[in-house]
Amino acid sequence: MNDISPSTLLALVPLLPLVGAILTVALGRVLGSRAHLPAIAGIAAAFVVAVMLLSGMAREVGVGSTGHDHAAKPVEMVTTLWQWAGIGDAAAPGDGNSAAKAFAIPVALRLDPLTATLLVIITGVGLLVAIYSIGYMHGDPGYPRFFALVSAFVFSMSMLVAASNFLLVYVFWEAVGACSYLLIGFWFTKPEAAKAAKKAFLVNRIGDFGLAVATFLLWMTYGTLNFHDTTLADGTLVPGILGATRLADASAYVGGAVGTAICLLFLLAACGKSAQLPLHVWLPDAMEGPTPASSLIHAATMVTAGIYLVARTAPLFEACPGALTLVSIVGATTALVAALIGTVQNDLKRVLAYSTISQLGYMFAALGTGTLLGFTAAIFHLVTHAFFKALLFMGAGSVMHAMGGVIDMRRFGGLRRVMPITAATFLVGALALAGVAPFAGFFSKDEILASLHSRGWPDAHGEHHDAAPAGGHAATGATFHLASVTPDAAQFAGGARGSALDALNTPATWRILFWMSLVTAALTAFYTFRAVFMTFTGPTRVPDEAGHHAHESPPSMTIPLAILAALSAVSGWWLFSTHSLASFLASTPSFTAPAVASTATPPAFHWDLAIQGTLAAAIGIVVAALGHLGRRSDGPQMERFLGPLETLFANRFFFDQIYSALIVKPLEMVATLAAMIDRHLIDGLVDTIARIPVALGSVVRHLQSGLVQRYALAGVIGTLLIVLALVARAMG
Amino acid sequence: MNLLADVVAPAPLVLDGLVVGAILFALGLVGILARRNLIVMFLCAELMLQGISVSLVSWSRHHGDWGGHVLVIFVLTVAACEAAVALVFVLQAFARTGRLDAAAWQSLRESNLSRTIDRELPAIDTVPPKFPKLTPAGVEPAADEDALLEREHV
Amino acid sequence: MIASILPSISPGTLLAGGITATAASLWLLLPSGRSGAADRTARWLGWLLGIVALASFLATGHRLGSVGEEAVFLTVALVAVISGAATVVSRSPVYAAIWFAMALAGVAGVLLVLGGQFLGVATIVVYAGAILVMFLFVLMLAQPAGLAPYDRVSNEPLLAAVAGAVLLGILSLSIGRLTAEPPSCCLMSGTKAALLAGSGSAAEPTSAAEAGIDMLADNHVARLGGELFGRHLLAVEVAGVLLLVALIGSIAIVSRGAADAAPAAARRVAP
Repeated sequence: MNDISPSTLLALVPLLPLVGAILTVALGRVLGSRAHLPAIAGIAAAFVVAVMLLSGMAREVGVGSTGHDHAAKPVEMVTTLWQWAGIGDAAAPGDGNSAAKAFAIPVALRLDPLTATLLVIITGVGLLVAIYSIGYMHGDPGYPRFFALVSAFVFSMSMLVAASNFLLVYVFWEAVGACSYLLIGFWFTKPEAAKAAKKAFLVNRIGDFGLAVATFLLWMTYGTLNFHDTTLADGTLVPGILGATRLADASAYVGGAVGTAICLLFLLAACGKSAQLPLHVWLPDAMEGPTPASSLIHAATMVTAGIYLVARTAPLFEACPGALTLVSIVGATTALVAALIGTVQNDLKRVLAYSTISQLGYMFAALGTGTLLGFTAAIFHLVTHAFFKALLFMGAGSVMHAMGGVIDMRRFGGLRRVMPITAATFLVGALALAGVAPFAGFFSKDEILASLHSRGWPDAHGEHHDAAPAGGHAATGATFHLASVTPDAAQFAGGARGSALDALNTPATWRILFWMSLVTAALTAFYTFRAVFMTFTGPTRVPDEAGHHAHESPPSMTIPLAILAALSAVSGWWLFSTHSLASFLASTPSFTAPAVASTATPPAFHWDLAIQGTLAAAIGIVVAALGHLGRRSDGPQMERFLGPLETLFANRFFFDQIYSALIVKPLEMVATLAAMIDRHLIDGLVDTIARIPVALGSVVRHLQSGLVQRYALAGVIGTLLIVLALVARAMG
Repeated sequence: MNLLADVVAPAPLVLDGLVVGAILFALGLVGILARRNLIVMFLCAELMLQGISVSLVSWSRHHGDWGGHVLVIFVLTVAACEAAVALVFVLQAFARTGRLDAAAWQSLRESNLSRTIDRELPAIDTVPPKFPKLTPAGVEPAADEDALLEREHV
Repeated sequence: MIASILPSISPGTLLAGGITATAASLWLLLPSGRSGAADRTARWLGWLLGIVALASFLATGHRLGSVGEEAVFLTVALVAVISGAATVVSRSPVYAAIWFAMALAGVAGVLLVLGGQFLGVATIVVYAGAILVMFLFVLMLAQPAGLAPYDRVSNEPLLAAVAGAVLLGILSLSIGRLTAEPPSCCLMSGTKAALLAGSGSAAEPTSAAEAGIDMLADNHVARLGGELFGRHLLAVEVAGVLLLVALIGSIAIVSRGAADAAPAAARRVAP
């Protein structure tokens, strides 16, 4: 396959699922119950191509050979497929903020370590979910539609992470939102599903608005929307926003008010798509969609688009430390609040949904640290989370499948005897989520905690590194020193003008965030194992809806579960112990910006943090076991101790009610007022005007008598008048 | 009015023929517009055709060629066709409404206009027809009263 | 002749008077649903006005200069015009048809005087002999007993009469304009003599205008036929096809329509 150029391969990754989607739509009726074939073939082929791209990229970066090189070179490959739109004088060069610049939007795809990693995750998890759906969606009347949508989603998501242009990012940002909307409302005849789809769409709209305005501001500020550098016809180099030229210059990114505004708008967009506070309300309701869709879109891939966006625009954020701190604050707060809500949910999928919000919050907290460790930790957690959360969702779907659509944990129990494979794989996923060593979540969570810790206790962290057995590496004391001073020095180097938000960037803030994350870790372990114990232990109970023979799911569902369970078990350890992912990602152009690259630290295993994290997880698990292990799942175990807090958690901190009171109700009142004005004032005016021709017509209409002779008479008289006029003119 | 000013000076009788044609045409037009009996309207249309025929022959005389004559022959032909087809329509119309009234067909009027109904017409001062009376010869045959009545007004 | 009686009246006044008289005459003559006595008065008045109008049109007309020719032409033309007017204003459609036959006779005469011998005869044969008889058949089939209400009233008689009169005025005005040129009547003595004699013996063309026409030659019909089946053969064929199509069409409509109309007729009879 070496004779195919990497750029062709890159174009194939989104193209193959697109072809699959089109074929599924076109042939859906013909294929019937085999409608999954084109979609799965397309996604599988895309997965193979993505793996080839990843291995090629890994060879180019040279992973594993030199270990950690703190002067990681940016590696990227950009393919311009075609010029989508061009406005204005393409020859006009310039890098100022001139609005008269040429506006050219190429359909350009890029390949760099970040994109390659995400492409593999998207197509890989997408493939497993599609295979799983063969069993799960079997017999559904919308079977072809489901696979077409999944395939279309894989296409959109691949394009989103491969696009090398902010406008394209925006387009596919919307496209994945549309796929999500259609999949949440997949069973659109169900009122709850339709409502949930609408809610997701509307809440996402707020975030999309942020992305749109951010794109405008980027154009105004940087004069281009391309990530990469482009060369015009006359040889002028237009530095892309994330191109090599700009990345090499430490002061190339605008800070201050404008930069902060751009970053905050990006954060708003990310909050919408990744369900962060305060725009998280759509994700729990999105569980009305089919479980495989929840697994793929609302757990593993689409919701991580926000993470991708912030990671991709890391250099921009580095110029605005306040905005960066806010990312962490939002993330950690979301993580804690969602975990608290998750502790009292009784719906298995809702527990997982809040868990997803919480874990995404973790990733944001890591991103906000602005260090290379934080960014790679966030992506690392993204990868492992994609595995174990997809696994957990599919396990929940398997339970739901067997229980005849019942998902309320209080109505069943002791299912490990009914469905052993599901139970075992779910347990692996839960261990990974809870952060128990040596499962995947343990390592990624450890890195996140480490990145937060390094900001809260910079000096201690440096000493910690000194003490750590990091001998074999070429790290020097100077590097450590740089790492410890980076947070202030490097970030303020980008823009001398700070913004008010920068005041948040103090070690005290980071300490609070660290402790919040640690508490969240304990809560995560608690609610995860509460769900495990309620579902799989205790006396075996099966709801009536399941029928007489509740059974294990078919192989098409259990095989993806097993694969994901294996990945959840070993991927963390493997990726962490070899440091392959971190060093690989370090070559992503965005992470080679001086502000990021200068924070590079040698890979290390933080024993103290690991012990703290494991303790937190252990406390959570023990408490869950005390309350739920071996008990009937419908008893009042833990909640009665919470008292009024339980009301608060069960009502999800009253977010929906607050939004309803603050936003929905006033809007409805304004709408009612507008409707009254429209109906009475404007319509009245229009009606009045409309009455004039009616009045005229009621007079003239009597001419329309239907009598042919009258018409003929009128015609003759008219002709005579014309002739008379001609005669008069000729004579006159 | 210089429409015809550049023609050659007309031959005698040409102008008179044109005037007669114009009068016939105008009379036919008035009939078409005013009379409501379909048959009479039809006769008036034929009258208009006659006026045109006279005009055509006049012009033929003026120009000294056969064009007008030939055209009149075609007018005759078309009039015959027209009469055949249109009379069939008249018959159909009569079969549907029972009247030979052009105003009976008013379906295409504005929706809320009422139908045109002839106002109250004064009674006809019927003068009983006076048939010539012959001296009866022999026995009077038994006449069918209905048949006689039917023929009263033709 | 009449112009000499009314020498002092200007042509414009004469035309205006003629139009007014025509309009008034037609309006009075057209059936308007008046009661018996008023109707009779109106009709007499209308005929009188009509004669006035006719006189005024004659006064505007061009004179021939030959009493004989003019007399013949005037006679047939008056027959045509008066019968035509009677066709239009007759209450009974049967009378209208018969008046129309009379008008046809007048038109045939006019055509004869104008040199269309064949056309005059053909008009009598085709119209009076065929078409008119068809009309009478239809009347026999369709006309109900007595005078129908719609025969006793007209549709907008005043407007229609005015429109007709104005049209006539415009036409005669434009025809009258032709006489602005001096007529070439002086060259017509030979033709005139031949026409009055009714023979083609003296049919030598005496002017350039007469050279091509030669309508009074004894082979008139043969030459018309030659023209028709020579230059206009294709049109004749088309006309033949048209006749055939009309024939088939009439049969088709009348046979289909009978089936459709039967229920309607039944409904109409029922109450």
